[in-house]
Amino acid sequence: MKIERYDMIVVGAGPAGLSAAIEAAKRGIKPIVFDENQRPGGQLFKQIHKFFGSKEHKAKIRGFKIGEELLAEAEQYGVKVVLNATVIGLYPEKEVTVRIGDEVKHYKGDAVLVATGAAENMVNFKGWTLPGVIGAGAAQTMMNLHHIKPGNRVLMLGSGNVGLVVSFQLLQSGCEVVALADAAPRVGGYGVHAAKVSRCGVPFYLSHTIVEAEGTDHVTGVVIGQVGPDWKVIPGTEKHFDVDTICLAVGLSPMSQLLKQAGCKMADTKGGYVPVCDEDGATSVPGVYAAGDVSGIEEASSAMIEGRMSGATIAEYLGYITKEEKESRVNELEAQLDTLRQGMFAPKNRGKLVEKTEEGIDVSMNLLEKGYVAQDEIERYPGVTKSKGIHPVIECTQNIPCNPCQDACKMGCIMIGKNITSLPAVDSNHKCIGCGMCVASCSGQAIFLVEEDVEPGYGEVTMPYEFLPLPEVGDKGMAYGRDGREVCAAEVTKVRTSKAFDHTNLLTIKVPNEMLMTARFYKAK
Amino acid sequence: MIDIQEKLKEIGPYVEAPDDYMLVCRCEEVTKGEIRKAVHEGFFTIEEIRRYLRSGMGLCQGQTCGKLVKGIVSRELKVAPTEVEPAVSRAPMRPMEMEILAEDGGVAHE
Repeated sequence: MKIERYDMIVVGAGPAGLSAAIEAAKRGIKPIVFDENQRPGGQLFKQIHKFFGSKEHKAKIRGFKIGEELLAEAEQYGVKVVLNATVIGLYPEKEVTVRIGDEVKHYKGDAVLVATGAAENMVNFKGWTLPGVIGAGAAQTMMNLHHIKPGNRVLMLGSGNVGLVVSFQLLQSGCEVVALADAAPRVGGYGVHAAKVSRCGVPFYLSHTIVEAEGTDHVTGVVIGQVGPDWKVIPGTEKHFDVDTICLAVGLSPMSQLLKQAGCKMADTKGGYVPVCDEDGATSVPGVYAAGDVSGIEEASSAMIEGRMSGATIAEYLGYITKEEKESRVNELEAQLDTLRQGMFAPKNRGKLVEKTEEGIDVSMNLLEKGYVAQDEIERYPGVTKSKGIHPVIECTQNIPCNPCQDACKMGCIMIGKNITSLPAVDSNHKCIGCGMCVASCSGQAIFLVEEDVEPGYGEVTMPYEFLPLPEVGDKGMAYGRDGREVCAAEVTKVRTSKAFDHTNLLTIKVPNEMLMTARFYKAK
Repeated sequence: MIDIQEKLKEIGPYVEAPDDYMLVCRCEEVTKGEIRKAVHEGFFTIEEIRRYLRSGMGLCQGQTCGKLVKGIVSRELKVAPTEVEPAVSRAPMRPMEMEILAEDGGVAHE
């Protein structure tokens, strides 16, 4: 039997696996990467939204672009990626069996990195096996990779970032999202993601779960109900919606079976069954490493950094770099990872209710319970200021590690400061020129430009707009509030697109002055 | 080691529930009731349940129902899900044709 030998074998060509292979290849290693899919990049190519973070985390770049950059880098450093290659076994001696075509091939690596990612969780309810009940990941695959609309009327279960981001993408693809439900009492994902879904008119039902999916051979409706403290549905609270699709975004579980088979010490945690790793991703089996979601669910930005840390660590393990070289690289990466793990959504805050921002401002409870910041709450945040002339209104109300808006403003109007999680503040000493760069650069689509008295009694609101068809100047429609309710008639006065905006269009509408702090979305009549 | 008799006494007899009919493992068509009943028959680990009912042994290899089965077993046993002993991981990690598996390492012998 033939066994091919490699210095480093990587399982999974997603953000973690590719980053590790690149980092190792830069040090002279020739790694081989196996992936069972037809395309490399893992989940990155499904991510059409702009990422959070700072420049070093590739903030405000869309996920699939980051994927393209990663593939180009992999090619540049000669990383060999084998696709349609399913790793079916990993043995303690670091022997890897891979199904490629109609063959099972054997490989041996001096170091093996497992970066297999995670699988979506499911929930059971009456009718959950009906066609039309799909995972949020499946919805993303259909929409963003294959350009197929998953359904016409959709109910989303799950208010974590996946549920929120996919709900918005469903709206972008032309689906109607009839409701977003979550058994938890509060929105789990970023408030800015919730707010952009909410202002499109999607009602949030927190403390609600699915009672049943209706239909005989496919989904024709759904019943949700309010859950009590015992997580059981309170009789009489049921609500019915006509839908053809039920989308589930109820968390992910690490796909760690290979690591278990290899004999790595495992831990059963709330976040899933994960290998016990040191901070550089080394498991209990010498030479076997893990990076990305397989070692604990986070997101692509941290998976890429973890991958690079493992790549550098493996380079040292195999003798390609010295301990000092490795440590200096790992320390640099660790600092990047630490920044991403700050703020209200930091791993240490999971499941906790954070009631005050770092600045000591009350967190919007309406945002957590209904998906939008209430009118009487919005003015307490430092990004929301009132002045006559054109100025940004930054509706960023939670401490998340993200700062592209500060870099975007060439005039110095927006301040976040050294602490990347601080709420952006508007400095009225610097004059806004209305360029709109901040609006387009905000990954959370939370920045608006507001100008009073453009003509007597009327002002303008400029908002980020990522829907097609794009409205035209002169179009008349309705303005909507943060809660998705109609507030007043509106006329489109400007539509700006630019390469620098990266597909976030700037839509300017004219509304009465008294609606300038209320109107946050526009729909044609 | 769990004392099976003691544990069975502690958890009491199997009581029918209205959602027992619900499919949990789609691939092998195993219902919630079957899993609950199996626990009361003394099958406490995921490995035992898999061998007894075939849950998680189908096309998706437990990717969909794994966590759900664990939850049902843990509730029946009145312990945290993390205390339920998981199944062993074996190759092949993904479903594949026996024909291909048989040719592993060379052409199959006629």
